[in-house]
Formats: sequence, C-alpha cells, structure tokens
Amino acid sequence: MIEAIDLVKHFRAVDGSVVRAVDGVSLSVGPGEMVGLLGANGVGKTTTMRMLATLLSPTAGTARIAGCDIRTDPLGVRRSLGYLSATTGVPDRLTPREVLCSYGRLHGLAEEGLGERVSRLLATLGLESCAGRPCGRLSSGQRQRVSLGRALVHDPPALILDEPTSALDVIGARDLLRLLAELRGTGRAILISTHRLHEIERRCDRFVIIHGGRIVGEGTRDSLAGASGSLEEAFFTAVAGAEG
Amino acid sequence: MNAVRGILAVAGFQLRRMLSPQRLVVAVAGAAFPAAVMLAARRIAGGLDRDFGVVLLYALVPEALCLLGLLVTMCPVVADELERGTWQHVVVRPGGRRSLLVGTFLAAVGWTAGVALLSLALTLFAAGLDDSPRLAGMFAVLVLLSCLGRAALFALPAVIVPKRALVASVGAAIVVEYLAGFLPAVVNQVTVSLRLRSLLVEWMGWRRNLPESLRLFVDDQPPVVQVAAVLVLTAVLLTAASLILAFRQFPPAEEA
Repeated sequence: MIEAIDLVKHFRAVDGSVVRAVDGVSLSVGPGEMVGLLGANGVGKTTTMRMLATLLSPTAGTARIAGCDIRTDPLGVRRSLGYLSATTGVPDRLTPREVLCSYGRLHGLAEEGLGERVSRLLATLGLESCAGRPCGRLSSGQRQRVSLGRALVHDPPALILDEPTSALDVIGARDLLRLLAELRGTGRAILISTHRLHEIERRCDRFVIIHGGRIVGEGTRDSLAGASGSLEEAFFTAVAGAEG
Repeated sequence: MNAVRGILAVAGFQLRRMLSPQRLVVAVAGAAFPAAVMLAARRIAGGLDRDFGVVLLYALVPEALCLLGLLVTMCPVVADELERGTWQHVVVRPGGRRSLLVGTFLAAVGWTAGVALLSLALTLFAAGLDDSPRLAGMFAVLVLLSCLGRAALFALPAVIVPKRALVASVGAAIVVEYLAGFLPAVVNQVTVSLRLRSLLVEWMGWRRNLPESLRLFVDDQPPVVQVAAVLVLTAVLLTAASLILAFRQFPPAEEA
C-alpha cells in the first residue's frame, strides 16, 4: 500500500554544499498495518514523508501509494493519501464542520452526501459537541483531531502521519493513537513518525529506525528489542552503530 | 468540475479569513480615505473642476486603493500558508496548488473590488460631480480591471519569493506599472496602467483635446482591445504563476 524504493533527497545548502537529507530509504507498509518511523530530529523522517506525500520530489528513487507512483502519477497518490503533521494549521475562524467540508470540496467530493460524510467523520473523531465552535477555541487535542479528519475526509486507504502527537499532552496523544488503532482496523496502511518511542511502542506492527538519512534498523518491536527487551535501548544501539 | 469546486473552496475559506472584525475596520477606513481626500480637495479649492475630480478619483481608487488592497490580500498567498502551517495540507490535495493560487486570486479580487466599489460610491458622493451614475459605471469597470490585472501581477512575486513577496510586489508595481507603464515604448503595452489610462481618456472624451506630449502615454486602440489586453495579461500572468507554483518545493526547514 505504501512502498518507498531507494528514496534519495539532496538539498543544496546556502554555502553551496549538498546536504543528503534522505539517502536510499526503502520501506513498505501493507493494508491494515501501522509502521512507526523512528528517529531524532533532523534525520530525514519529515523529508521522507513529504516525498511520499508528493510535497517534495525525490532526487532519486521512487515510491508507490496504493499502486500510484509518486513520480508518474502524483494526482493518483494525492487521491489515495491522507497526510497529517504536527502543525495542525487549522484556520481559527472556521468551525470543524466548515474545515472538513472545505477540504472535502478541495478533493472534489460531491456536495450531496458531503454533509452526511462530514457528520459521520465528526462522530468518529469525537468532535460532534464542538462541530460548530470556531477551531480557535478548541484544545490542541481537538484541533489535531480536526486535522486528522481533514486527512480522512476523502476516505484514503493510506495515511502518512508526521509526528502527529508532538504538540499534544499525554491524554490527547493517547486519544489520537487510539483513533489511529481503530483506523488500522479498517484496513488502512498507516506510516507514523515520532521521536516519542514510548507512545507508539505497543501500537505499531513494525518499526523503521532512520538516522542520517539512512535506515539503520527495521523489524517488529520484539525482534528489534531482542535480549534487552527495550525498544528504546534498541533504538540507541542502532543509532550508535550507524554513527560508528 | 472538480477543479472549479477546489478553487471555490479555497476562495470561500480565504474570504472567511478576510472577514475578521479587524480587517473589516481596516477595509472601511481604507474605503473612506479617498472620500476624505476628495472632500478636503473640494473644500480647499472652494469647489471642484470636473476633470480634476475625475483624475483625482482615478488616482485614488482604481490605482492607489486597489494596489494597496491587493498587496495585502494577494501577496501572502504562499507565505501565509507556510507560516500558518496550512501549505502542506492544501497542496497535498489533487490540484491543491492551483486551487490555492486561483482561489486566493478570486478572493483577493473579490475583497479588494468590494472595498474599492464602496470607496468609489463614497468618493463620488464626496466629489459631487455631475453625471455620477455614468462615472460610477465607468470607474467600476476600471476597478475590476485594475484588480484582475494587478492581482495576477502580484501572484508572480508571491510564488517566486514568497517570504519577500510584499517588497517584491511593491518593486514590481513601481518598476512595471509606474516606470515601464509610462515609457513610450513597446514595453508599456504589457502594463495594466497603460490600459486603464487609455480607457479613462477614451471614455471621458479627452483624446481629441489631449496635448501631443501626453498622447505618448495613452494607447490608440479602441476600449474593447484595452479590456481584452488586460484579460489576456491576467491569464498569462496567472498561468505563469501557476506553473511556477506547481514545481516549487519547500524543504521542511524553510517552512518555519
């Protein structure tokens, strides 16, 4: 469902040097699977996800979302993908219902049935009681749920979530992750990045550890944790190994 | 059809953003300013010569007010989205970039034209000129053309240098509209200001008595050509901006 094949992204720095933000990342996420992309800040998680979401074009390599290639069929990718980031960017003056309807229209959803679809989505996200309140008056957890609704409004089979819990408190993060677990149960492929390992340790099916733009570890929690029994320990070991 | 729905969705939420109480107060103050200037000119001169009144009205509303309104509403089309963190959420949709640009263009034109038309009514009332209904119709067309052409012009700096769009647009307005626009050379043919001036001169019936030295600054083509020229210029500029935006990439570090 989500498949990255040897993705590379280089940026040119102000001084003219080439920064290898992502250097040959390959990963896959199947239907009904949630994969955690783990890494410290600035190691290439966001750049990888933005290439998958067609926000950035890769220097080399490619990726497929629901069978659509990011290079040759970016529109197909966008139709099949829900994208969420730490920055909710929800307009303060609009209500959750207005936000979801606007983004539904942006996806070209027909007016008939849009209201009903949005109502169902608001109920799924637990936002019914504040559906008519301007987003500026919502808590950060509620705003992030509106943002998740925005990613789900067109019912995509694949979700890419870039540090969705980083601006949330413990309860907000737990509620959001519960919602994501339910979405995985509906057969969606979910790729979620975070540097807060404890939050997703028990929720993801597999993990990919990225460091310096490269994958330095990959597997289930148990296979990565090994004898230490700790995913965090496995993460530090993988990162230390990559740094030599 | 989907493209139109996307564009209208963006235009809708951009207009909702613009309808904040603070912006409405600024808009009303902006609309009243030309009327206040006109009133002051009328008082100081102890009356108002019709031609002078029309030129002052032209300078204040289709030129100054429209330019200022569009600088505020059109220039931040990309920079605002980057700053608010909405850029990635909009452009990850099919046709998102085009919807963002054209939707914001429509909202900026609608908002600025609305304020300018309100200002036009107030300023005409303050001027107390004869034949106000005809002047109102004529200036309404000039306002619409000014908004369309200048919004498209400002779309270019907005997508090329989003974070310096305001400065670049002021530069473009000065260099393109008021420097190149007054050059008696081929280059002035691609400016909105030449078309608007030429329409004003034609519709006011000033062409016959225009001094030879001033004829260099207006175009001889009939009004329909002037209107078509602005519309073509608008389409070309918007298409160019849309193409640039389609390939524009912002590394994560640039979004903050």
